[in-house]
Amino acid sequence: MKTHENKYEELIAQNEDLTSRLEEAMDIINAIRYGEVDAVIINKGEEPELYTLKTADHTYRVFIEKMTDGAVTLNKEGIILYCNSSFANMLGLSLSEVLAKAFEDLVHPKYKTFVNGLIKKAWKNDCKGEIILSGLQKEIPVLLSVNTLEIDGGKSLSIVITDLSFQKEMQEQKKAMEQKDEFISIASHELKTPVTSIKGYLQILRHGFNQDGNAKAEEMLGKAETQVNKLTKLINELLDVKKMETGQLQFAEEPFDFNEMIKEIFEENESLWTKHIIRYHPRDDGKVLGDKNKIGQVVINLIDNACKYSPEKSVINISATSSGNKIKFSVADAGIGISPEQQERVFERFYRVKGLVESTYPGLGLGLYICAEIIKRHGGTIGVTSEEGKGSVFYFELPLL
Amino acid sequence: MKKIFIADDDSDILEVLKIMLQIKGYEVEATSNANENFISNAAKADLVILDLWMSGIDGRTVCKALRAAEQTKHIPIIFMSANSSLKEIAKEYNVDYIEKPFEMSYLLNKVQRLTTGKVEFPSI
Repeated sequence: MKTHENKYEELIAQNEDLTSRLEEAMDIINAIRYGEVDAVIINKGEEPELYTLKTADHTYRVFIEKMTDGAVTLNKEGIILYCNSSFANMLGLSLSEVLAKAFEDLVHPKYKTFVNGLIKKAWKNDCKGEIILSGLQKEIPVLLSVNTLEIDGGKSLSIVITDLSFQKEMQEQKKAMEQKDEFISIASHELKTPVTSIKGYLQILRHGFNQDGNAKAEEMLGKAETQVNKLTKLINELLDVKKMETGQLQFAEEPFDFNEMIKEIFEENESLWTKHIIRYHPRDDGKVLGDKNKIGQVVINLIDNACKYSPEKSVINISATSSGNKIKFSVADAGIGISPEQQERVFERFYRVKGLVESTYPGLGLGLYICAEIIKRHGGTIGVTSEEGKGSVFYFELPLL
Repeated sequence: MKKIFIADDDSDILEVLKIMLQIKGYEVEATSNANENFISNAAKADLVILDLWMSGIDGRTVCKALRAAEQTKHIPIIFMSANSSLKEIAKEYNVDYIEKPFEMSYLLNKVQRLTTGKVEFPSI
């Protein structure tokens, strides 16, 4: 009986020992599973043996998995041993479709020789190269950074693959923009050259008819010249917008007398504004810092618009008043007016006011957009108040010097 | 009679300028090719009008050549162009400028101002 009892207790003890060892083993396995163990040291003989665990670099694996660049390791034969999902996604393939494949099979045929050369070189020195990968649906421009890697005593190649699609696309967009800008610049120049000689010949003829006393012919040539001037204005508007978009529009920064500028504008343009009764009573003196020509361009544009959208012989009131440290310039017409919803949009690029009778008024829809940009760049504000059928007041405010 | 030298590779613009200036009694020497001959003859000019972008020799090069030579360095120069950076370029070269297209009266006023009285340029 005694032996049986002894045997039973022995078995219980053995069981307890085994259970605790199993628990310990389970703990170790779990620790390994969760990446808490870097290495295991096993004392077999006299010398302890160190085993680095492949799952121990869990953190780094996650890191490599999460990065947007592709990561690949290759063996001596150029076969893919490991790849992260970013690389598979880049190609539009699943991980299993990429693993164990020859790397060169994923490369665009044109770059195969280059890639093989690069890989061969990388076994000696780290190197980089730009190539194109053949994805499932598209070709992908990439940068390869190839390094040698020692894993468990063996050597393999690691490649980091940076997708250059976005960069290339941006480069192409930039190039297209530059080409467009250059085209507009050349086109404006090429358009202005014939306009220059047309305008020149018209002026010579007009001068000739004036000398001969042929008023009718002189008048007609004057009209032709007005049209040429309109054409020039449109070309300049296109050029201004192009410059604004590319940040090339530069302003002079010189102090000038606001009323003096208005006076000069009237002296130069009065002959163009004869169909309306234009009233201007400068009240206040004030100096403004900025580009006199560009501000003048805004003034002329607002008066031109008032003439364009109001009936002949109607009154256009122009005023410049200063209050505090600002000067307010306004042009009030008795024209067609602008609906509230259109008032918000008149300063937008390419916006053209839709009339009651005509579907649209002539112009490119750039004039007021340019005005708004010029005033904004001078630290001012521009706006409009209007009542349909009664008229509009366009105004801008600029800081006084 | 005041002498004006003009170089522009557009023959129509050249003709227009020539007629306009002749109307006012100026003697005009016009060329579409501002070669060395033009530059050396320019010593006789009271004013030189140069197109900025010319095929062959460019307006800026002619300007430099005129400014470099003793007998031409004092002659007033006008740059003409449809180029939007004309103003800046003229400033850089310390010369006067006329934008294309131009008003006949503006051209004639400027020419008169630069060829009479004291030569003070640029008048920008």
